[in-house]
Order: sequence, then structure tokens, then C-alpha cells
Amino acid sequence: MDPLTEHHINLTRRHFLQRGTTAGLGAAALASLLNSPTIQAASRAEKNGPGYRPGEAGPVHFAPKAKRVIYLFQSGAPSQVDTFDYKPTLEKLDGQNLPDSIRGGQRLTGMTSRQKSFPAAKSFNKFTQCGQSGQWISDMLPHHQKIADEMCIIRSMYTEAINHDPAITFFQTGHQQPGRPSLGAWASYGLGSTNANLPAFVVLLDKNSDNQAQPTYSRLWGSGFLPSNHQGVKLRGVGDPVLYLKDPTGAGLQERREMLDVLAELNQQRFEQVGDPEIATRIAQYEMAYRMQISVPELTDFSDEPESTFKLYGEDARTPGTHAANCLLARRLAERDVRFIQLYHRGWDHHSNLPGRHPKLAKEVDQGSSALVQDLRSRGMLDDTLVVWGGEFGRTVYRQGGNATNYGRDHHPRCFSIWMAGGGIKGGTSYGETDDWSYNIVDKPTKGVHIHDLNATILHLLGIDHKRLTYRFQGRHYRLTDVHGKIVKGVLA
Amino acid sequence: MRCPSLLSVSATVVLSVVPTLLIAQEIDYARDIQPILSENCYQCHGPDRKARKAKLRLDVREMATAERDGFHAILPGKPEESIVIERLLSSDPEEVMPPPKSGNKLQRGEIALIRKWITEGADFSRHWAFIPPKRPSVPKTTRTSWSRSAIDHFVLSRLEQEGLAPSPEADRATWLRRASFDLTGLPPTSAELDAFLADQSPSAHAKAAERLLASPSYGEHMARYWLDAARYADTNGYQYDRNRDQWVWRDWVIHAFNTNMSFDRFTIEQIAGDLLPDATDQTRLATGFNRNHPITIEGGVIDEEYRTEYVVDRVVTTSTVWMGLTMICSRCHDHKFDPVSQKDFYSFFAFFNQVPERGLNGFDPRLKVASPLSVGQDTILGNQIADAEKIYRALLLETGGSHDVLARWEKTLSKRPRPTWKTGVPIRMTSEGGAELKALDDQSVLASGKNPTTEIYDLLLTKNSRKPMRAIRLEALMHPSLTNGSTSRGTNGNYVLSEFEVTYKLADKVHRVKIATAEADYEQQNYGIEKAIDGATGKAGWAVDGNTKKANRVATFLFEEPIPAEAAVRVRMIHSFGNSHQIGRFRLSVTGDQSASIPSAIQKALSLAPPKRTTTQREQLRNYLIGQFGPPELVKIAAKLTSLRREKAGAKTAFPATMVMAEKPGIRMTHILERGEYDKPGEIVGANIPSFFGSLPQNHPADRLALAKWLTGPDNPLTARVTANRFWQQLFGLGIVKSSEDFGRQSAWPSHPHLLDWLAVEFVDSGWDVKGLLKQIILSATYRQSSRISPGIHTRDPENRLLSHGPRMRLDGEVIRDSALSASGLLQPQIGGPSVYPYHPDGLWMELNNRPGYSRNYPHPKDPKNLYRRSIYTYWKRTVPPPTMATFDAPEREFCMVRRSRTNTPLQAFVLMHDPQFVEAARFLAQRMIQKGGSSPDDRLRFGFRTVTSRVPSAGELAILRRALNKRLAHYQADEPSAKTLLGIGSLPRNENLNIPEHAAYTAVARMLLNLSEAITKG
Repeated sequence: MDPLTEHHINLTRRHFLQRGTTAGLGAAALASLLNSPTIQAASRAEKNGPGYRPGEAGPVHFAPKAKRVIYLFQSGAPSQVDTFDYKPTLEKLDGQNLPDSIRGGQRLTGMTSRQKSFPAAKSFNKFTQCGQSGQWISDMLPHHQKIADEMCIIRSMYTEAINHDPAITFFQTGHQQPGRPSLGAWASYGLGSTNANLPAFVVLLDKNSDNQAQPTYSRLWGSGFLPSNHQGVKLRGVGDPVLYLKDPTGAGLQERREMLDVLAELNQQRFEQVGDPEIATRIAQYEMAYRMQISVPELTDFSDEPESTFKLYGEDARTPGTHAANCLLARRLAERDVRFIQLYHRGWDHHSNLPGRHPKLAKEVDQGSSALVQDLRSRGMLDDTLVVWGGEFGRTVYRQGGNATNYGRDHHPRCFSIWMAGGGIKGGTSYGETDDWSYNIVDKPTKGVHIHDLNATILHLLGIDHKRLTYRFQGRHYRLTDVHGKIVKGVLA
Repeated sequence: MRCPSLLSVSATVVLSVVPTLLIAQEIDYARDIQPILSENCYQCHGPDRKARKAKLRLDVREMATAERDGFHAILPGKPEESIVIERLLSSDPEEVMPPPKSGNKLQRGEIALIRKWITEGADFSRHWAFIPPKRPSVPKTTRTSWSRSAIDHFVLSRLEQEGLAPSPEADRATWLRRASFDLTGLPPTSAELDAFLADQSPSAHAKAAERLLASPSYGEHMARYWLDAARYADTNGYQYDRNRDQWVWRDWVIHAFNTNMSFDRFTIEQIAGDLLPDATDQTRLATGFNRNHPITIEGGVIDEEYRTEYVVDRVVTTSTVWMGLTMICSRCHDHKFDPVSQKDFYSFFAFFNQVPERGLNGFDPRLKVASPLSVGQDTILGNQIADAEKIYRALLLETGGSHDVLARWEKTLSKRPRPTWKTGVPIRMTSEGGAELKALDDQSVLASGKNPTTEIYDLLLTKNSRKPMRAIRLEALMHPSLTNGSTSRGTNGNYVLSEFEVTYKLADKVHRVKIATAEADYEQQNYGIEKAIDGATGKAGWAVDGNTKKANRVATFLFEEPIPAEAAVRVRMIHSFGNSHQIGRFRLSVTGDQSASIPSAIQKALSLAPPKRTTTQREQLRNYLIGQFGPPELVKIAAKLTSLRREKAGAKTAFPATMVMAEKPGIRMTHILERGEYDKPGEIVGANIPSFFGSLPQNHPADRLALAKWLTGPDNPLTARVTANRFWQQLFGLGIVKSSEDFGRQSAWPSHPHLLDWLAVEFVDSGWDVKGLLKQIILSATYRQSSRISPGIHTRDPENRLLSHGPRMRLDGEVIRDSALSASGLLQPQIGGPSVYPYHPDGLWMELNNRPGYSRNYPHPKDPKNLYRRSIYTYWKRTVPPPTMATFDAPEREFCMVRRSRTNTPLQAFVLMHDPQFVEAARFLAQRMIQKGGSSPDDRLRFGFRTVTSRVPSAGELAILRRALNKRLAHYQADEPSAKTLLGIGSLPRNENLNIPEHAAYTAVARMLLNLSEAITKG
């Protein structure tokens, strides 16, 4: 081929497949087509970008450590000094005013910026050293104490956002303002799905019990500028698990089959007349819908679980929408090879009476989160399932309002703790540390873990180079980590 | 993303597309060279000053060709002496460009092309989209009979270059369906189809297009696209995402499209309607466009941070919508590809930075303006009132001989004696809830002791009058022993009297007394006294805001017929609200005086000297007098006048304040923000357009008005192209420039550059006539083509960018829903007004946010005015967008969006199959099939099929449907309960005149019809 022709081929490819991004991953979509030979791959790649038919895995950049992610998001932000950031130093500093040298001109929220003093409060509960690894974990989380050897606690997380909406949006989309695809959507876009009967990205919302809980927003599992089939599909604890899954007329399988057959027959006739491949895709999607009508109820029906399951997860697991039930559901989704399972537990935002309210939240999530890790381990699935647990920022070591026993803690973006376990993670370890006040990260340039670093690491574990997972929009190659993000090698097994 | 291992896969597919596009024989810088440089070199050698390496800039000719220590990066005509070529070809990893770590690499062909370009003189023409369009000459084509307009010449010329032929014309019904969807968002009705098919005149298409463009649905449909671009929503986004009222602005948009406001005016009013020398409230209303962005109420935020975000949002939205420029890329640094520096960004920012607004709760400035859609309504009402007044005066004159007749009647009325009320303790009092009832000295009755959640007081009245009884007065009285010293035993001091029931016994026969009217001195909203005499108990009743307003209350109940004096009268006070919302102390009085029937409001009016009466009192009194003394026709017209006046007054005050733009007094300085951060102000800049495009005229202040005029001015290269391209995208699915949001150097090369320029120039020359432009396209041969896709062409041009066939695409979610409503006959035609709440799965709002005081449940109303309006009126909550729409790719509306994705997913099947909206629509479509489709099953099936698809089914299709119908019919005949379940879905009851199994069987078939791929496709 002469160079000029070859050049034009490439030029054309760029113009037609939107240069770069879509050409790369889109190609994978081309490779696997509907059974109908008339369906042309190019059309799908063009219309939907990358993204895969159900049951169709995408390429990875290198061998993945984790095949799937279960992300237990603790919305509202748990307090690090009361959960995973053990600070014996605070025993002495308790009640002392936070020195300016530590605060260092830190931006405060409108809620405590007018406060006159900033007395430190040590953790209101005890910590215990657990497992062979000897990790310190709060007694508020007795079930977590059992999985200490599985957990890698990152104590040096930090973010820039200081209010809930931008902070949680940042965490889940890599940007504080709305408009970007969520982590799960990126994973769905980059990896496709390995289950033909379920979506690649599933969202579970725990029922909320805290009457001052922060809300959540569908942008957190949205697809941003990615094609919208990558957005998370909510599995609900009430009503239809998937919106409109159930036929409201109560039609049985046979009747539904009959309807689909008539539809398929008519659609097929039309397809033969007009040749539009979208019609064939539509037929296939109705078939997948039919399969989902069977697979989703099976998925959410726990009656096949033995008693031991409920012993492990707790009796709560019998009540749909509880954290325990959703953790169990997450395990069942993982068993069915759903790629990205995003769970939200709301209510950690305790600006007042934190010692009274935090234990209640801890009790809601402790057993379920821990049981999930144990369960995955005993099924041999923890090795290729990544579990992530944490909130959008930390809470201040100093008291907000109140007195020495009854106080709140304000938002704290400078340091906080999360944990990860499973696929590719070095269990029984911790990473990074905070100063005596749990106010700043020690050696932040090398040990600080920014949200972009965490997201880069999660993608890395999935076999994706975060710098190469891009989507072209508005003339730019966008990626989850913007122009940032470094793999946190210290947490990797 | 570059995955070398995959390129081979894609290449095989792409290869087949190539000949289609291989048209360039001569090198065109903008098309062939600039994309290579932009993609591979501009990151370090482009417009961004700070990122620039080796001080080399390759996007500007002077700099790229300048001598550098005796060398040239590019020496025109001499590739051998151009360092660029040497570096591109180098095999030394230290030397080669682009550097390997960038991940970029040029293909051999690309290098050859650059070489050829340098040899030919390295012409650097400006990026095409930055040069104002000129009207191109219309190309000649071999085929001469096909084209109907200039548009077609451009399209055909390209097809002929590719050796392709256009598709045959689509059949007429298909064209009408396509045009109806594109101009109104609704399918044609059977009647419209029949009329069009019968019109054999050559102007039939044009007439149909004009009819569609004149339809009020046109404005609704066009406005819907605009709402995506304008990120319109009914909530504030961010955190709790609470309600806002911005719908009057939406009405403005609908009105503007329907009145075919020229697009330049449309632009100027929305960007700067407040700054026009002849600004009116309506032009100020238009500026709501730039206030549609999300606004935060999150307590802890830094005010300036969010205020900055709002201004940035306006820059992003304005530059995307009118300029197709990705200005956001220069928020933190100079644009990497386009000539927009960071300074330009903030100069543009300065236009929108003058609003007197806050970041936290930044809802002001707001303005209470009437919807433009109501302006016409106002005139209509005014005329109706004038007409009614004429009749009224004439009748009054006729009745009384003079206009003074009212004064005479008033005298008569005021001579009637005031009623005397006789108070008494009931002779027998029972509390059904087990409370203790005790008479106090003032003859009132106090309840104490057991306090049940609901309560009925059963009272037998004393006979203390010899006159027939005409009315009972009930006083609810405060007492220290009651909740907070109120009148009630309820948990919060309020009561709800569910029913005030009066019966009497005469000769051992019990009679229920009909209460003609009831009056109370105070009524809580939605808990009027009429609810206490409506014959129904339950939660509804008369309440008095007792939790916040502590006072004695009085109500009067007037009987339709007097109760004979000798009867024993029994009263039952029913409190069934719950929470012990019962009156705790009350007193009953009775009267036999006729004047008791004069309502208290009238008595009050009568007691005032005429000049002291309010307008309302005068009107009430007048109507009452007419009612008492006048003939029925006068009563009727007076009532009509009152209701018309009320409607007119209500229409004016009903509008919420709309957020609009305004300029603050003095000037807010605009700084370049380092890294785009609100708290890192740098150099001060004035408002200006990006310097690459020149600057604003000096004789006018550099404000939004100047910007709007520049956007629509003769030198602007972008606005007309970007806009025409978006209309093209609406009709054909893809724009001529596919990246309709980006016309910059990284944009997709236009499929028909000359056509785009022709459309842009034509659009401007027509006076920015939107309807005119759409009509031209709709009538073109290009648009009229059949959309059948042959396998060959699909392999070659899968996106139909060459336009070798007509447009074919899945309809947007809104159109799909509106079409189903239209097919079922349920669609409500009312235009404009507040957003409505159609069917919505339970609990979606609360599961994301259930904080008391900051959240609410979806209201789930049952009335047709909420359920069956067009989807543009559906309440749009940004954090939970309407699920039916979202499933079909509607955006959240959190930011500007000018191009939706168009997916094909199983979740869409669930919506069409199971959303009650579609099931109910199928039931009503079935009803129409049975009632209007004819008497034979085939006729009915044909009718239904045609209603949904705009065409007659083939014999084969009909046979499939017939089989399905018969099968369903047999099923429902054998299982009537399941038929009833199907017919019970939705809020409207089923038509009981229809045979149940038959109705159900047709409903099942109608569901299949609404689920057809064809039903949701514009083909």
C-alpha cells in the first residue's frame, strides 16, 4: 500500500471512529457481533462507543488482579480517629486547643469557621489490636476486628473538597462539579461485562436511618459524557429491584414469551424490509430483558441461602435494603460476575452528638461489611474481588460545638482512612500515617493518597492503565484521573 | 486510547469505509494536516504558552516557519531542510517526535502527507470554522432531475464523487411521519395521513410542512431540544436538590419558537434581554437562560467558590451553544488546541460576572413576569369579561328598570331582622370514643378523660324554640385543659371536623337534613368547611391551623329546608382524621330566623357604608342580592363575571418569580484565576471576546449585549454554522459536523463543508428564519429519501454521513412517550404552565434523600392534567431525572448538552412493556381500535397498526397480529380475572361498555404495537 493511501486510511479512521479513543476500545466491540450476520459492528462502535454486549469482556492493558469491584461507600464521612486511625497520642492532647501550627490556615467549612476554639477530642471508644497483623481497629467495629488480616487500611487519604456534594462527586467521578462519568461507568466502558443476563455496573442503596443524612445523587453512578448504557443500574430493595422489571399485569413466563415472539417476528419482518441493524439489536435486547426477568428475581431471592449465611451476615440480612442484605446481594452479584458493584450507606455526617450517633451507624454496617469479606474469602472469591470501604472525607479531630462528652466533628479533607481488601491488595497492613493530631498526613508527598491515586489504583487492579482509559469528548481525551493519579504501590500485594 | 493490539481488528472494518471517503487529491491544510498536528504536536507546540516546549509553536505560520539559529522547523517548499521532518523520521528515541512517552506516534502515511504539504509550500489556512462562511456556489451534478433545492446539489455532488446514487423517494406516508416527528414531536393522526395522501397537488408537501410548523406542538418540540442545551430543570441540583420555579422561562422558549422569533433576536434576548434599550419584562424573562444552572444550598460552602462555578457554567454553556467552542479547556491554562488563552476565558467570564448574586442560595435576582403564553389568554379573558358585562348591564336594566335596582334590593335586605341565636346544652351527649363530656356554665361542652385517636360526639339538642329550625351555629372554644390551651384535644392543637351530620326524628321516622351551605370564620388551606358537609369522613374535613393559630372559631350550617319545630334534632360531630384531632370544647346554638341564611360575609358588607367596602365585598354583595331578588339569567351572568374576573386576576398573580440576569451596580473586577481556582485571583481582565476573533466595537460598553450582538453579527464565523448544524442533527441524527458541541480544531471534519456554509449563509440571509430553514430541509430530496439501508451501503457508510438514504433513528424518550399518549388519545393538549407529575415508580426520590424538611415524596397525582401532558412538562429533578426519559438517554440536565447518546438497552424494553403509562396507553389505544377501527378484527388491527406506525400492515404482519389477537382472546375468555388485571392498570377506569376479554385482548395487541421497534423509530 502506498504511504499516502495508508495515511488516508488512518485519517479516515480517525475521522470516522473519532480518532484515538473510540477506535481503540471500539474495536473490541467490533469483534463480537450479534448472531445476525447483517449487524455491522462499525455501527455499534460508532453509536455506542466502546461498551460491550452483555457477556462480552473487553480488553485489559495488563493481567488484572481483580475481576470485579465491590465498593462500600460510607456517605457522610466516618470519623477516622474513631474507626481506623488509632491515635494514642490523643490521650494526652484531649481537650487541648488545636495549635495554629497544625491547622496551618486550613480552610474550614461555614459550620465551624466561626468557632472560637478547637479543642481536640480523642476517640470516644477504645481500640484493640487484632489478628496476626496486629492492626488497631475501633471496638465500635467488632466484626471488622475479625477481618484485620484481610484489610489494608489507608490512613493517608486526602481530598480537596470540603463539602459533601463536591466531595462525594469528586470521589465517584474524579471531578467536583457534575458532568463526568462515574468510576463504575468507566469500568463498564473499559471492561465490558462478563454476564449476559445482568448489567455490568450495579448500584445498591442501603436504607437510611439517620434523619439528618446527606442525600445521594444519580450522577454518582451516571455515565457523564460516556454513552448512557454505561450508567449504573440501581437494584432496589423495595418495589421492582430493577425499574419496571415486573410486568404489572402479572403475566406469566409463557405469556411474556408469547409477546416477545410476536414482537420478534414483526420486528424481524421489518428488519428484512428496511435493513436497519438497530432492529436486530432491539430484538436481542428484548431477549436480554426477558432473561433479566428471570435472573434478577433469582438473584434477589435469598431463600436458597443456608442458615449459616444469615449467621455470618446477621439477621438484618433477611430485611431487604439493610446493609447486611445489600452486602449479601453484592456477593451474589459478584458470583454472577457483575463487574462493578457500588453500594452506598448514608448517614455518617455527625456534626452533633457524634459519640451517640457514630456507634449506631457502625452497628448498621459492621457485620455486613465484615461478613462480605469473610464470605468472599471462604468461597475463594476474595482473590479476584476488590472490596473498598470508605467515605468522601474525614472528620476533624477537634470538637464541633457541644462539650467534652457530647460533641460533633466537622468535615476534614486533609486526612482520612479507608480500607481495601481482596484482589491484589496486601492484607493485614496499613499505609500512610497522620500526625499526632490526626490532622495532617506525615510525608504527604510520598505517602499521601489522593482520590486520583486511589482511582488509578483501583483501575490498575482491574488491569487498566488509568492514563490509557480515555474517552474523547469536546476535542479532549478525558480520563477518570484527569492529568493526575499515581498507583499506590504500597498497598499492592 | 491506543491499544496497538486492537488496531488490526478495527482496520479490517475501517478498510471497507475508506473508498467512500477517499476524496482528497490535493492537500487541504485544515482537513489533512491540522488534525495530525493538533492531535500529536499541539500539546507542547500549540497555543498553550505554559506547556510550550523549545519555544516552538506549530499552529501559527510565522512561528512555525521562523528561522531558529539558522534552521527552520518548517521551511516551505523544502522538506529536506525542515527540522520537523527530520525529527518525525528519527529513529533515535531522544530525538524522535512525538516523544515515545507521549504515547503518540505518526503513521508513515501521515509523515508523507506532511512532507508533501511542505513541498507544496506549507500553506497554513485558518481552521475552516474560524473563517466566516461565504455562500458557496452550488455544485453541478451529473444527475439533473433529482435535486429539489440547493441542499440536494451539495449532497448529490458528494454522492456522485463517491460513485453512489441517492435512494428513491420514501412513500408519502413515511415522509409525513418523519416530518411530523421532526417538526412537532408527534406522529401524524390517521386523519392527517388521509388528508395528505388525498392531496395530489404538487404543493401537498409544502402545505403539510406549513401546517406542522404552525402547530403549537412545534414550539413545544423545538423547545425540548433547547432545554437540554440550556440545562433547564425544576430543581436546583447539588445536595438536597430542592424545587425551583423556572417554568415561566420555559414558556418563553415555547412561545419564541411558535412565533418564529428570528434566531438572532432569540439569542440577543436570552443573553442580554435585560440590557436592551427597549427592554421589557418579557425580554428580561428571556435571560433566565443563563440562570438555569444548578445552585447550591449546602450550608458549609464558600460563597465565592460557588458563585465562580455559576459564572463558569455560563461561559461553558454560552460558548458551547452559540460558538461550538470548548472554552472550558482554557479555564486553568491556555487551550491546548484552539486559539483561546486563559486570559480569553476570563475576559469572556467577565461578561457573566456582573450579576448581583450569591453562591450560597444564589437564587436572586428574580423577577415576577407573566408567561408569554398567558398574554394571549389575558386578552381573551378581557374580551370575555367585556362581553359578559354588556349582557349583565342590559339584564340589570331590564329587571329593575334602572341600575339603582341593586340599591333598592340592598335596602330590602338590610331591613330583615338580625338572627337571634338560642344557645343550649344538648339534652343527651355521648362520646363514642369514651371521653367525658361536661357542660360548663357558659353552656359550652368540654371533653376530658379518655382521648381516643378518632372521635364522634353524638348530641341530642334541646327543643327550645317554637319556630322551625333553619340553622345551627357551632363554636369551637379554647380551654386551658386542652392542648396548649387551644380548642382541640389533638396532638398539636389542631382539629379536623370530618363531618357535621344533622338528622331529626319525626313520628318515629329519621330524616337526614340537607345542609345547603356552611360557613366558617377561618379555614385552613385544603381543609375548608365544605369538607365537613360533603357526606364523607376520612382524613378530609374542616381544620383551622390550630397548631400555629390559637383562636376561638365559629361555623354556621344552614339547612336547605327548615326542620319542623316539633322534631327531635340530633347532631353527630365526626372526627376521623386521627391523632385525636377533635374539638375539645364547643357550644351549639340554633335559630329559626330567615335572616340566619345571610352569610356572615354579606352581613359584614351590609354593615359597612358602600364606599368602605372592598371590591370583593361589593362583588359578593351584588351577587348575593341578585341571587336573592334577581331572575335566574341575571344570577347566571353575575356568577360568570365573577369567575372570569377571578381567573384573570389569578392568571396574573399565579406566576412565580423567575431567576433572571441583571447587572450589579458598579463593576465586579474579573481576575484570571490561577489553575481556575476561585481563591487564586491573578491579573485583572476586562470583558471581551477571545482575541483571536478580534475585539468588540469601541463605541459600546463591553457587556452581554455587545457579546450577543457580536455572536449574531456579520463577522461571527460560528453562530450560524453551529446552529444550522444542530438543526441538521435534529433531523438527520448526526450533524454535518458530527461533534456538534465542538467546532474547534479537534472537531470532526464536516461531511459536507460547503453544504454547511450554504445553510449558514442562507439562514442568516433569511433573517435567521428558523421555520424557513427547517422547511427547506424537510422539503429537500435529500430528506425525502427512503431510509432503507442496503447491506452494501451500511458496510461502507454505517452512519449515513454521505446521506445516501433518508434519516432513520430511534426517537427520543419524550417523543416515544408523547407518541404513545397520542396513539391512545390520552394526550392533553394544554400548552405551557408549571411542570407536572406523570407516573413515576414509588419511592425513587426518598431513597436518595429522606432528610425531613429537605426532601419530599413524588406527589403521584391522579388527574389527567398531570398524567397525560407532553413530556416537556414532566417535572425534572436533576438528581433523579424522570426514569422513563433517562432510560432513553435523556441527560440529568446538570450541565449543557447539545447531543444525546442514543443507546439500545434491555432497560428500555422494561419501560415500554411495564411502565403503567404505556400499559394504560395500550388500553386506550385498544379502545380506539374497537370503537373507531371498524367492526372486523382485521380492520381494527389495521387501524391500531397504522395509528402507531403511520402505515398499513402487510398481509404477513396482519396475519401475525390476528394470530396474536385470537390467542389472547381465547386466553382472556378463559381467564377473565387476568383480563381485569390488565385493564386495571393506570389511573383511569376501564370503559365498562366494552366486553372484558375482547378489550383485554386488543390491549395486549396494542402493547405489542407500542413495543415495536418501528413504533419508536423515525424511519
